[in-house]
Amino acid sequence: MNKYFSTKVSIFVFAFPALLLFTLFCVYPLLPEIWMSLHKHDGFRNLGFVGLNNYKEVILSSSFWTAHKNTYLIVAISLLLGLPLSMMLSLFMDAQTPKFRRFFKTVAMFPAILSVTVVSQIWLAFYEPNWGLFNAILNSLGLSSWTHSWLTEKKTVMPSIGLTFLWQYIGLNAMLFYTGIKTIPKSYYEAALIDGANFIQVSLRITIPLLQNVIKYVLILSTLGSMAFYSHVRVMTAGGPGDQSRTVIYQMYYTAFDTSEFGKGTAIAVIFILECLLISFFIQRFVARDKLEF
Amino acid sequence: MSLKSKSEAYKNPFGLPSSWDWLNFSEALSKYHFYTYFENSVIYTTGTIVITLLTGSMLAYCLSRMQWRFNSAMLLYVSMGLIVPIEVVVIPLFQLVKWMHIKNSYLGLILPYSGFAIASCVLMLYAFLRSLPNELEEAACIDGANVYQTYIKIIFPIVMPALVTQCVLIFIRIWNEFPLAFIIASKDQLRPLTVGLLGFFVNVGVADWGLIGASMLLSSLPMIIVYLIGNEKIENALTAGAILK
Repeated sequence: MNKYFSTKVSIFVFAFPALLLFTLFCVYPLLPEIWMSLHKHDGFRNLGFVGLNNYKEVILSSSFWTAHKNTYLIVAISLLLGLPLSMMLSLFMDAQTPKFRRFFKTVAMFPAILSVTVVSQIWLAFYEPNWGLFNAILNSLGLSSWTHSWLTEKKTVMPSIGLTFLWQYIGLNAMLFYTGIKTIPKSYYEAALIDGANFIQVSLRITIPLLQNVIKYVLILSTLGSMAFYSHVRVMTAGGPGDQSRTVIYQMYYTAFDTSEFGKGTAIAVIFILECLLISFFIQRFVARDKLEF
Repeated sequence: MSLKSKSEAYKNPFGLPSSWDWLNFSEALSKYHFYTYFENSVIYTTGTIVITLLTGSMLAYCLSRMQWRFNSAMLLYVSMGLIVPIEVVVIPLFQLVKWMHIKNSYLGLILPYSGFAIASCVLMLYAFLRSLPNELEEAACIDGANVYQTYIKIIFPIVMPALVTQCVLIFIRIWNEFPLAFIIASKDQLRPLTVGLLGFFVNVGVADWGLIGASMLLSSLPMIIVYLIGNEKIENALTAGAILK
């Protein structure tokens, strides 16, 4: 019966449009990216083949390493701080009465549905050195020596932007965890309750181990998401002071569109795609390998 | 914040306003091309949703129901799309869109967005279609329907819940998408809200926080309304996303 439908024409009609779109816009761009990275290119003209020279120049520039340091700082913040916090938040939501849970769920999702521009602008107001919220709080607590010009000082700029990012997506991750918790059969909890386990024991022994598939999904999602970190930087500091808050993607944009060195920009992109592939491969390979069935 | 006058926003940025100044809203609406940006955002989002759901569901149907030599290879090929972040291929995408002469049209963003949304759409619908019994189509077949009629009249209505879920996911993603829109929609008339808002902030400068607050609220309102209405749907969409992997 499936044979009856599977004529060459019908397969073509059904498969072609999506495959064309996907190939043209998602897969095909990788080829010119590699090609361009081997040439000197200003966005309009190809100025000749330069081999691996772009790669060499990119790797030798200090901005490239600053950008890497910043990007992986964001990855570290979102994995080491963000994931545990959102896990705690989701366990907390699960322990509430339905009415409160509804409220917390709405509040948690709220920042994630706002656009990057809006969130960044709100936090720009918080970080403002003269009348911003953070300095105002520090001043009123008598800690004036702790105040900073958060977004223009080399030391504080990246953690400040990272905090904004964390604030925006913690609730979303918590919601993902929470939806995972809902799928765990209640019988496990009943059994634990009979054995006299408390909330922390139940969370550590039952909930978190049974959530490993969801944890893996969130891990990949937030790793790749924070590696592609760009928009907040664009709105909040435009990479400044100097190149101190540029991330890899920002550096790529900057090189290609602001200095018109498309060859070098694409070289950064190619290196970065390899990093992304490598990292998602490692997560796939080593985290939560066996699928749980319940 | 959005209800404060310029001077009060400065002196008392985080307290409640002393007098409620609604002027900021009308001023924001007139100075800032809110309607244009809003319309653009709507066009980009609906365009992407329509194209992705239509082509994606067809491919998912083909992969799950038709007998084809490359079924599993194609599934693997499409799932690769989940790994490449859209941000890293912006440079060649920019060149491609320019070369296709769609840079200064809505298609310049809609088509790339669709290309990137197809992967997760196909994978989710594939899983959904797999769980449906074959008898549905056999009955249609006996009644003499051809494959296109079967698809439109039988399959499309059945996958509707999954399509709605995808619709929500794509909406959240595209409405707030920034990097690609920032690069490709460089003409003011084509900018979506997220990018238009940034341009507006730069024009206003840091001085007028009342005006900035008003425009932020205005631009977030559609998303907030959609969220409050589709609360439940969004939660279901998240669950679907989490079991996908």
